[in-house]
Amino acid sequence: MTDANGQGAVVVTGAGSGIGREITRLLLEQGIPVSAWDLNPGDLTGHNSANLMVRTLDTRDKAALQKAADETVERFGSIAGAATCAGIFRPKPFLEVTQQDWDDHFGINLRGVLFTCQAILPHMRAKKKGSIVLFSSTLARTAKPTTAHYAASKGGVLGLMRVMSLETAKEGIRVNAVSPGIADTPMPNAVMSRDVVLSRAEGNPMGRIGTANDMAQAAIFLLSDDASYVTGQDIRVNGGQDPF
Amino acid sequence: MNTLITGAGSGIGRATALRLAKRSHICVADKNGANAAAVVKEIEAAGGKATAFEVNVLDGDAVRATVAKAEALGPIDALFNNAGISVRTTIADLTGDEWDLMLDTHARGMFFVAQAVLRNMVPRKKGAIVQTSSDFAVMGVPGMAAYCAAKCAVYSMTKALAQEFGDDKIRVNAIGPGPIDTPILRGGRTEEQYRASVAANEARTPMGRLGKPEEVAAVVDFLLSEKSAYINGQLFHPNGGAVMW
Repeated sequence: MTDANGQGAVVVTGAGSGIGREITRLLLEQGIPVSAWDLNPGDLTGHNSANLMVRTLDTRDKAALQKAADETVERFGSIAGAATCAGIFRPKPFLEVTQQDWDDHFGINLRGVLFTCQAILPHMRAKKKGSIVLFSSTLARTAKPTTAHYAASKGGVLGLMRVMSLETAKEGIRVNAVSPGIADTPMPNAVMSRDVVLSRAEGNPMGRIGTANDMAQAAIFLLSDDASYVTGQDIRVNGGQDPF
Repeated sequence: MNTLITGAGSGIGRATALRLAKRSHICVADKNGANAAAVVKEIEAAGGKATAFEVNVLDGDAVRATVAKAEALGPIDALFNNAGISVRTTIADLTGDEWDLMLDTHARGMFFVAQAVLRNMVPRKKGAIVQTSSDFAVMGVPGMAAYCAAKCAVYSMTKALAQEFGDDKIRVNAIGPGPIDTPILRGGRTEEQYRASVAANEARTPMGRLGKPEEVAAVVDFLLSEKSAYINGQLFHPNGGAVMW
């Protein structure tokens, strides 16, 4: 990752809300340029500034990703890092999962991640340096009813992460994942009642649910040069709820 | 802030002591008192504050006395439970004494240190602990059965402590370093054997190089800081991609 005076931006997908939004905020606070991509950038819209470029796009749209990556390089010189936070979560009992549900989850949570990485990797390769953080989920390794399609897509992210890390390890590029447990972000709050979201603190060793900041800090660490010997890893930020 | 680091006289422990000294007093504990004193000098030369302790983690009474003295310098907020050794002996030649020394140093030694520190941390409801496990905790390595078993014990203990002390606002994590260029890697090897070991480790590591102790220290720093406030019971691998799971 670049320092405040250096070149290179960090691409954040899903930057309009939740964890992506918090990563964007923390990077800007450090003076690091951000290229913020989201289908709905929310209140980031209109906040283009010296260090922030906002693009409204769907990560299933390969051409739009390519264009945004090229424009990011044009604007900031290079792409030093990426955090792929764009994702959807629409829990349903397994037998009720439609083809559309499956395609939406895999299209955004997995295929969109592949396309995002394909759009930015050539720019990192050119500089022989870069750090990519993919957001998976604690559900990639554990299980809760009604999450089959989501869990499968997030498990796929871990496979993608490992192989990408292998293929780029000797080129100065690191690829890691962050797997959040439940966090107080718009994603779970959109599909569960407030009481249910907060009740997940019970049984967590740390007695609370996570925050967007908890997850963002892990990504910020992995993006930084402090993680220079960390690649191919899945950092599970869950209070110790799921120890593997 | 006061941080206790065992095995702080060399390698990863030393690098972590030097890094954390920028924001904490460091209790530099090592079985080699001269090494501990040398690290304290280095910290002081850089403008930091530190105190040396000569202690062997095999000795429970000595560990408890050291922790009491360290605690008297200021509440221990952070513990890097790191002292460790390595022997390379095929299982056919491994003696009971070698097995005991390996398990006693890592599992029993870290238990003594963690218990003594936690007794003080729990009433304060605040603290972070990092324990040094290894890549080898999750992979089988020929000639390293005792070391693998010892490091897996450290990881299992870490998970249990994380579950037990979360309510007390104390986080416990482990690190699983891959091949790092430390005195342990050099120990007991001729120059030729050392070079062969480096080459083998470079070959097995996707990044194609050994890690530096400073690169592990950066991870320990993160896990002992508030930035990892919701990371608990995990095994964090600074390993160049050598193990992925």
